[in-house]
Amino acid sequence: MSERGLFGLTGSFASSDALTEAALHLRSLGFREVEAYTPYPVEGLDEALRPCRPNRLPLPIFLGAVFGAAMGYFIQYWDEALDYPLNVGGRPHNSWPAFMVGSFELMVLFAIAAGFFGLLAFCRLPRLYHPIFSAVEFERASVDRFVLCVEAHDPSFELQSIRRIFERHGAESVTEVSA
Amino acid sequence: MNLIDLPGDAPVIEPGVTLRSLSEEVSDRVLRPQAPRWWWIGFGISLALFLTLVVATAWLFVNGIGVWGVDIPVAWGFAIAEYVWWIALASGGTIVSALFYLTRSPWRSATNRIAETMMLSAAASAGIMPIMHLGRQGFFYWLFPYPNVMDVWPQVRSPLWWDFICLLCYILMSIMFYYTGLLPDLATVRDQAQHRRKQMFYGILALGWRGSARHWRNYQSVYFIMCAIMAPMVISVHSVVGLDFAGGLTTGWHSTQFPPYFFFGAVISGLALVIMLTIVVRHGYGFQGIITAYHLNAMGKIMLTGSLMLGYSYVWEAWGPIYANSIADRTAFLDTIFGTYAPTYWARVTLNIIIPQLLWLPIVRRSEILLFLISAGIIVGMWLERFDIVIPNLARDWMPSYWGVYYPTLWDWATLAGSIGLFLSLFFLMMRFLPMVSISEVREIIAKGETK
Repeated sequence: MSERGLFGLTGSFASSDALTEAALHLRSLGFREVEAYTPYPVEGLDEALRPCRPNRLPLPIFLGAVFGAAMGYFIQYWDEALDYPLNVGGRPHNSWPAFMVGSFELMVLFAIAAGFFGLLAFCRLPRLYHPIFSAVEFERASVDRFVLCVEAHDPSFELQSIRRIFERHGAESVTEVSA
Repeated sequence: MNLIDLPGDAPVIEPGVTLRSLSEEVSDRVLRPQAPRWWWIGFGISLALFLTLVVATAWLFVNGIGVWGVDIPVAWGFAIAEYVWWIALASGGTIVSALFYLTRSPWRSATNRIAETMMLSAAASAGIMPIMHLGRQGFFYWLFPYPNVMDVWPQVRSPLWWDFICLLCYILMSIMFYYTGLLPDLATVRDQAQHRRKQMFYGILALGWRGSARHWRNYQSVYFIMCAIMAPMVISVHSVVGLDFAGGLTTGWHSTQFPPYFFFGAVISGLALVIMLTIVVRHGYGFQGIITAYHLNAMGKIMLTGSLMLGYSYVWEAWGPIYANSIADRTAFLDTIFGTYAPTYWARVTLNIIIPQLLWLPIVRRSEILLFLISAGIIVGMWLERFDIVIPNLARDWMPSYWGVYYPTLWDWATLAGSIGLFLSLFFLMMRFLPMVSISEVREIIAKGETK
């Protein structure tokens, strides 16, 4: 059951433990579209909200590293062995030990770049506006409050029961956030 | 002041600091409409020094590098020594930030932003030096390996090209690493801002960071991997700078110890500059509760470790030429320690090795004035070391007929002063407009202390 013009219902908690307990409770009742906003990373919170979801971010970083190393080596190989072969002191044109520094640097550069842009992509950023910004508690979610939000498109969304669950876990305030 | 070392369970952050006061204080320094007077004085001096760089660079571009003291045989002068000096200072910032994140050292959380800001500012000063040193600066882009109609490529077997690629990648990676760590704090500043324009400015910079569970999870895994990459990366950068020298057949340079020798120098000089800037930020911004005796004590110990590692390299620097059967190497070394440049050698030994031994005493690590003075001595000593590596060895090459003496000119000194100006100007600007303490990481320390 979803409500019109409503983004969700937020509850604000004073401690990360209360937030995690409320999140686990909601999860056990079958709520799936729940998100938490905290001032610092709370251990185990994402696992509580979305269990069994593997962390896929290391994969693009690894692929970036492989691509960077391959490209770094290829540029040097192309340069020294194919396009402009120059005999320097009788060394082989494809003198791989000398190419290692360039390959390493491009490997780590592309790994970091994949991590940076992968982070933005996985977080769906940049996104300058989000409905949660209009929640009154959100301003303190970057200071000292822990905010839990059940989004309205959750199939089992129902204002009164969620409000009761929030209050049972000691929510300081519960508010409706418009979409 | 007590004579005993800080106990192991001493508070990293003063007990009075709460999550709320932390966010408000750090954001307030960024958001306050008027910068404090000491900031204007510091920034004014920095900007004046930076203008010196503009003038010196313009004069250099018009007249060529003959305005400097470089000549044959000493063709590498201040610019190269200062390049090594600056890149070491930048590397030191990365070491503090990345290496000590991996070891989970609690003192790193309140000082890493200062170290990273220093890293970016110092990398800018380092980056301009090799370009200025080129005889024809306009052609520096020939270092890029790109297909061109001249059908000419850079010689990628050369350590000098490795160094170019290292520096380029290092600066790009540092910016991404810095920005990743900054994202959650920019969001805090956005949420603390009261004025519409500041909210929009920091809102755009924060890219819409929300601090959701999903965000934090992705952030943590990326940040950890970034640190794990940046730590070996920075070792490679400064080792390759060492290879620039080790790859040359000059007396005193052609040595396998150069890569670690240079890296040890980066540890000690980087820590020294972080300590100086930390003391400035701590008092200037009134962060005494967030940056405490614990931080300075820990950094003093690391600096002492760096000094001992560097001392080990100094022993090998002396032992190699004495033990090896090479008259030229021995002559060059004896000339370094007793000849024209003897004062710089003994000054650097005193400033980098002997005086820092005072850091064994807890009372010295507790005194900010002594820490500041020792650190300043190390910065000067490290500059002398870079001078001593580059210049006396070139002045005493293999053949006596090839010997000469190097005299810096006014423009050499102006370039040195100007590069300091560039560094300080950038640092002061970032100090004014970006949070100088990693708010989100210090929060974790406070939260752990509360649950303990």
